[in-house]
Amino acid sequence: MPGPGLAISGVSRTYQTEDGPVAALGPVQLDVPQGRFVTLIGPSGCGKSTLLRVLAGIERPDEGSISIFGESVEHARRAKLIGFVPQALALLPWRTVLENARVPLELNRSGGANRRKPGRGPSDVLRALGLGDVLDRRPAELSGGMRQRVAIARAFVSEPALLLMDEPFSALDELTSEVLRRELLQLWHSTRTTVLFVSHSVSEAVLLSDQVVVLTKAPGRVATVIDVTLERPRGDLVEVTDAFRDCEREVRLSLRGASVPDQQAP
Amino acid sequence: MTAPARAGGAKVRRRATRLATHALPAAVLLGLLALTWQLVAVHNTYLVPRIGAIWAQLVDNPREYVDAAGNTLQESAVGLGASFAIAFSLAVAMSYIRVIERAVMPVAVIINVTPVVSLAPGLAVALGFGMAPRYLVTGIIVFFPMLVNSLIGLRSVDPEAIQYFASLNASRLEVLLHLRIPSSLPFLFAAARICFPLSIIGAVVAEFSTAGTSNGLGSLIELASQQGTSKSLPQVYAAIFCLALLGLSFTLAVMLVERRLLSWHPARAVQGQA
Repeated sequence: MPGPGLAISGVSRTYQTEDGPVAALGPVQLDVPQGRFVTLIGPSGCGKSTLLRVLAGIERPDEGSISIFGESVEHARRAKLIGFVPQALALLPWRTVLENARVPLELNRSGGANRRKPGRGPSDVLRALGLGDVLDRRPAELSGGMRQRVAIARAFVSEPALLLMDEPFSALDELTSEVLRRELLQLWHSTRTTVLFVSHSVSEAVLLSDQVVVLTKAPGRVATVIDVTLERPRGDLVEVTDAFRDCEREVRLSLRGASVPDQQAP
Repeated sequence: MTAPARAGGAKVRRRATRLATHALPAAVLLGLLALTWQLVAVHNTYLVPRIGAIWAQLVDNPREYVDAAGNTLQESAVGLGASFAIAFSLAVAMSYIRVIERAVMPVAVIINVTPVVSLAPGLAVALGFGMAPRYLVTGIIVFFPMLVNSLIGLRSVDPEAIQYFASLNASRLEVLLHLRIPSSLPFLFAAARICFPLSIIGAVVAEFSTAGTSNGLGSLIELASQQGTSKSLPQVYAAIFCLALLGLSFTLAVMLVERRLLSWHPARAVQGQA
């Protein structure tokens, strides 16, 4: 029986704009058991990224409560339990690949100190992602796929208990993201950390996840939670199996239902 | 001849070709300008001195010019350093606390629009004829570009990077050291390219108003123009030549340091590849 994971209850977020308040998210009700890979999918602008930023402690929710392994977001952030891969990567251009991967270890040192175990160092994680030859290069000298690998490695380096990934592969071509998804799965298998992954690709969501959470259009609420029962590790050709296709269909239909306006605007 | 030697020869030839194509146009233009100068000088000795006479000045009194250049250099460097320290610290405070920005910015603008030349004599009277007014004038003249560029630089941080740092609960100091200051470097170098030559102007202006004490190149010019002997004009231009040399070495120094420290910057990287 896995321990307490991520519990999101009644979380909502409203932005104040010049045209008045705009409800961006929620209320969202969601439980993610520890060690699960869960993907959020939903119509664009439904608040997926907002939810991730709220969980990362970058934004505060207007209502509702969040518990990360039984702790508050603030506590989890202070203890560096959270690994965040932002959509725009946020690599530091003046640092080399290796120096970028060290960032989570250098910042907020007291936070991770008490649970630092001699695990894999930054260079080991980078090598596992095939970046062994470019440790001393700067981000500007790398391809998009390699930069993405650096951002993923950086997130795994601090061995976070909760990994939040915001559409990490959306800027890449299909072939590259295909490779990277497999690499991410491999890395995840070695750590089994809890992952909340935001995606806009149905097949990506099914391939990666134990659970796909479909959100409604803005303000995003949980429309359906679909369990992906495909066995792990996912095989090389899992995408062409019937079980995979069925699962994809289910997500797609749910997504279509969630995107349809439930009432006509006057 | 062996293959590596041939390859080495080709490399040398390539380098020579590149030097020729890059430096030749400027060298030719400089030569033409010098020639024109000399033609004018030969016929109008009272307007401009001959190049030979300027050269003779420098060669006959090397100590005088080296000492003067050293003084001017010291004035610019101290003024620059102090001004940068104050401007950057203020910019850090301003980037965190809006009230400080609202208070400081208008004052900085007023100082900036006031012609520093007009301040110099008053400062000399107030602070005496030592080095103090010279440091101050140099400092004031470079202060505004330093302040504004520092502030813009400190604010030029990638917002996604700020959020990423926030997710790690990075402290304000960590954000400043690891994010804001490195992000501001390209802007600081832009400021340095403006301010280093500007600081020499500041030093010379201050020397004009405080002539008679320790000599800088500006003081040499001031003294020589007052004496009005046949040697005065070559003296003036010899000092001007030294000032130009000083400005050139400042600019080169900035460029070299920038090339080292900003190799990561996209604009730099592109230049480096070309």
